[in-house]
Amino acid sequence: MSFLADTNLWSNVPVGEHLFLFSPMIVLVCTMLAVVAFPIVLGRSAAVTATIVKLGVITAFILAIRVAGQVTDGGVSGLSTSPLAGLLIADNLAAGFQIILLVFLGAVTLLWLIGSASSEENSPEFFILLLGSALGMLCMTATSNLLMIVLAIELASLPSYAIVGFNKRDRLGAEASLKYMIFGAVCAAIMLYGVSLIYGLVGSLRFEDVAEYTVSQMVSGQNRLLLSVALLCFFAGVGFKISAVPFHFWCPDAFEGAKIEVTTWLSVASKAAGLILLARLVVILCSAVDYPIEMSLVQPIAWGLGIIAAVTCTVGNFSAYMQKSVKRMLAYSSIAHAGYMMMATAVFLHPSTKGYEAGLTALFVYIVIYLVMNLGAFGVTALVSWETGSDKIEAFVGLMRRGPWLAVPMVICLVSLVGLPPLAGFMGKWWILVALGKLESNLGWFLVIVAVVNTLISLYYYLRVIVAMILKDDGQPVIHASLGGVAMVNICGIVVLALFFLQGSLKTTSERFTRDLYQAATNQDDSHRLAWKDL
Amino acid sequence: MQTWLLTAIIFSPLLGVLLLWLPPRGSDRSIRRSALFYSVVTFGLAVFALFKFYGVAPTDSQGDPKYLLQHWSYWLGDVEVMGDVADVEILYHVGVDGISIWLMVLTAFLMPLAIWSSFTSVRTRVREYFSLLLLLEVGLLGVFCAMDLLLFYIFFEFTLVPLYFLIGIWGGPARRKAANKFFIFTLSGSVFMFAAVLFLAYYSYSDSGLALGYITLNIEKLSQLAHAGFISTSVQWWLFLAFAAGFAIKVPLFPVHTWLPLAHTEAPTAGSVILAGVLLKLGTYGFCRISLPMFPHATMTLAPFVACLAIAGIIYTALAAWVQTDVKKLVAYSSVSHLGFCILGLFSLKITRVNGAVIYMINHGLSTGALFLIIGYIYERYHTRDINEIGGLARKMPWLTFFLVFFTLSSIGLPGLNGFVGEFLVLLGTATSNTTNDLRAAGPLGYGYAIPAAIGIILGAVYMLWMCQRVLFGPLKEPPNTPDTSTGLSADLTGREIFILVPVAVLCLAIGVYPNPLLDTFTIATEQHVLRTPASHSWSVTEAGDDLQEEIKRADPMRLVESTSVNNLERVSVGNVGSDDLSTKKLGITPVFSSYPVTTPGMFLLNPVTKSSVAKTDHPETDAMTDGRSR
Repeated sequence: MSFLADTNLWSNVPVGEHLFLFSPMIVLVCTMLAVVAFPIVLGRSAAVTATIVKLGVITAFILAIRVAGQVTDGGVSGLSTSPLAGLLIADNLAAGFQIILLVFLGAVTLLWLIGSASSEENSPEFFILLLGSALGMLCMTATSNLLMIVLAIELASLPSYAIVGFNKRDRLGAEASLKYMIFGAVCAAIMLYGVSLIYGLVGSLRFEDVAEYTVSQMVSGQNRLLLSVALLCFFAGVGFKISAVPFHFWCPDAFEGAKIEVTTWLSVASKAAGLILLARLVVILCSAVDYPIEMSLVQPIAWGLGIIAAVTCTVGNFSAYMQKSVKRMLAYSSIAHAGYMMMATAVFLHPSTKGYEAGLTALFVYIVIYLVMNLGAFGVTALVSWETGSDKIEAFVGLMRRGPWLAVPMVICLVSLVGLPPLAGFMGKWWILVALGKLESNLGWFLVIVAVVNTLISLYYYLRVIVAMILKDDGQPVIHASLGGVAMVNICGIVVLALFFLQGSLKTTSERFTRDLYQAATNQDDSHRLAWKDL
Repeated sequence: MQTWLLTAIIFSPLLGVLLLWLPPRGSDRSIRRSALFYSVVTFGLAVFALFKFYGVAPTDSQGDPKYLLQHWSYWLGDVEVMGDVADVEILYHVGVDGISIWLMVLTAFLMPLAIWSSFTSVRTRVREYFSLLLLLEVGLLGVFCAMDLLLFYIFFEFTLVPLYFLIGIWGGPARRKAANKFFIFTLSGSVFMFAAVLFLAYYSYSDSGLALGYITLNIEKLSQLAHAGFISTSVQWWLFLAFAAGFAIKVPLFPVHTWLPLAHTEAPTAGSVILAGVLLKLGTYGFCRISLPMFPHATMTLAPFVACLAIAGIIYTALAAWVQTDVKKLVAYSSVSHLGFCILGLFSLKITRVNGAVIYMINHGLSTGALFLIIGYIYERYHTRDINEIGGLARKMPWLTFFLVFFTLSSIGLPGLNGFVGEFLVLLGTATSNTTNDLRAAGPLGYGYAIPAAIGIILGAVYMLWMCQRVLFGPLKEPPNTPDTSTGLSADLTGREIFILVPVAVLCLAIGVYPNPLLDTFTIATEQHVLRTPASHSWSVTEAGDDLQEEIKRADPMRLVESTSVNNLERVSVGNVGSDDLSTKKLGITPVFSSYPVTTPGMFLLNPVTKSSVAKTDHPETDAMTDGRSR
């Protein structure tokens, strides 16, 4: 690193330390390169690719854990002399999400190994795309800079478009990919337009400045309309990643057309990253508000977030009702769950910091739980569809006899998705609803009612799969799923059960990861507020 | 002082479930036997707990509320680990009082019988069947022991899933419809209940609520605060309604009872026994453990309304039962009718009558459970339950006839059998509820409620005896090719079947002749925990001028509950009566006598309580009517 340190610009930056904080991302990049380079020497084989990817993900995971241990409270802005100028930041939230995402990446790789490794010819390309989108998601959660946000969202999205239609000969996949891309491109264009408007107005790409500017303009009333339009355009891009209504149309088609491991990946990782990004942006927005004097400013934002969340949740649940394909049903259910999770972000805009801490922690807990239960549900769907060639609900009939080791974890995961005790999904909802209760406003109670009623609605379609698996039997042959897959889904089932009982420690851990977020202003002495005009 | 006993009892069936999956495929016989063995072990533990309970149980209702055999550990939000962010304090907390110990023993008693009775009737997926029955037992035992509202809710919900599968897999022809209806009905109710639990969590934390500064859902603590007037009447109203939605569907009360006859008819025999014997009691138990103590004012105001629903249910379902041709459906409707009495007794809000309602729960569990067993025996032999197709069984089945008549008489309340005790106390209580014969304020019900209920009893006798007459007496009538003895059954009851019924019959007789051991513990529990009547303490703030919320905030009511109960346990067991009650001093709260707060919600207890008023009411008269205790 000496050549960097020689220049004047870098003299004050602890380069090695900062690079270490971003080492999981760097390892992912190296893995991508290795995935391309090694087949040139060793020949193209799925085994080689898989080994490299496994090594890379495990290394990144170990580094991520070490990084999480090293991130100091408040976090740092990466490779920057000024705490205000960094594009990437390393704080507890980003470090925590890195760990979760890498675990999930490992699980998806495992799923791919079980199902697609034998038939896949273009494995290096597949993993470049997969790792690329993972890298994009990691960047999404580790930045508050508008430029970086746009880049990260594109980095996460572009490989996703390709990976959805990875099998060129599959018409459904190609169609899904095209839909996904067109929709994504439009959203990206809207977002870029919004970002350019914002830059024109604020003169800065840092979201802290944007938040500060927004608050001051809302108070003074100047440029209010233009700013609102710009912000709405910007959040369209974020909403696209979360698949919040009305940006959710790509979701079911893309999920149905893609290979199931890709669906698993997108259904959880893309949403989780989008939600963490949204959460970070909202937190920054809140910290710019001077409570309680400017409380009235944030009410519309809170209500906006809350209503979008409520609509997303309801639309997802109602659309899942009539689905015949379990995969597609789970796609819609993932929209509904994105709605539940979005509700937690509406809590942030609350005068007491307790409110935002509770909301962010609830969100984090929910993401962890959702990841495990969705992985289990998709895993079983994948194993069944690989064996029977169909992911229709008929393929699940009599599963309790045909493959009890698949049916039991599926029941556990589905009941947990409904949110019934004693499974982790119940606690996930519980924390979100408690956080909403702490909001102490009509919005909170409105969202509680929406969430509770939605739980009831969602019961029906999850129950349909359970009924097909356990109460019906039409004599289909026994399923012989691979041992690795069975082990994975059963581990998911056990973890879903265990997380219910270990809620205390899960919440404590999540609290640790959601505390002390990076705040650009921590280096300024006078106040926690940032004076955007000073820049 | 903690004891692991209750935890061991609750989760011992779970261990059984795990062990059930050890034997290799095809060893149905050994699975059946081991399932029975595991449930008997749980029953043994429960009986041990019962004796232990009687060893340390208070002999009168003076002193602080007592839950015995407690066990708790931090579950959500560990104070010591989390330090300053400990704003959640939800515990795994189990304990029993005089009411719940008996319901727990009833559960543990009925489960081996239910398991044993399905030895011949269940031939498919045996391992899963017994696993689900044992899992169901975990949930049921948990509900009766839970002392934390979230824990209560979790166990309450958990009972849904096993029973859903029991009905849906091993039920009759319309089993899927029945199972779905059961699931959706009960879940819709519990969703409201969940919202209420959530609201209470928020309410305990919030500054505009109890302002404890952290989330707590401890039932005892919340009841104490409610009786001290810290939960406002309007909040109580909403909470009462939300909880009642969950409980009323479970009981089931009149307009929402339609799932029950269907579920009963389609469920396998063991499912019906547990459903009628224990599961429906979750609703009534919920009313008496949560609604009555936690929302006293709302209870007082809404009691006539609930009682009207109960009476409508009693009459309506009795009439409906009369015209059933399916014996099982008839008994199912009679269940709804009987539980109406139970609710009536609870909402008369007088000690004797609440006792009556509680003993009614036990009695109904025994006699209706036995009736379902007998109907199961008939069905196994004749593959029909249609009254028009079978008749005159007395000629072929003297044993079955004896038991059916015996339990029918117990069910309709023949003096000398158990049903009479409960029915008499409930009716007496309902009739005299509004009298003020002592220091207590009047209850909400009266003769106007008792008379229609009494008509229900007559109707009950009519349809039950009519059913007996058609099925047992007259010329012998059997469907062709029956009785089916292919599974090793004999024409009359086999030794196993008789052996299952005998202990139930003995208990019915014993309770009918000498109910006092039960009623004694009920009285104490009712006074201390359900109605919190004069004999026990309500909590009141000494100086009204103080900021009440501040008082509560500074103190740590969790410690209050723990320390009082632990003190008591030690006091009772060690005999250290003189230990002074630190917790009350700490809180700045003095235990004072107050009647079940009734007349003017909102203003009571906010008046300064003077020494004289404490002194005046320090020697409360007990209820003048017999409360079951032999004096």
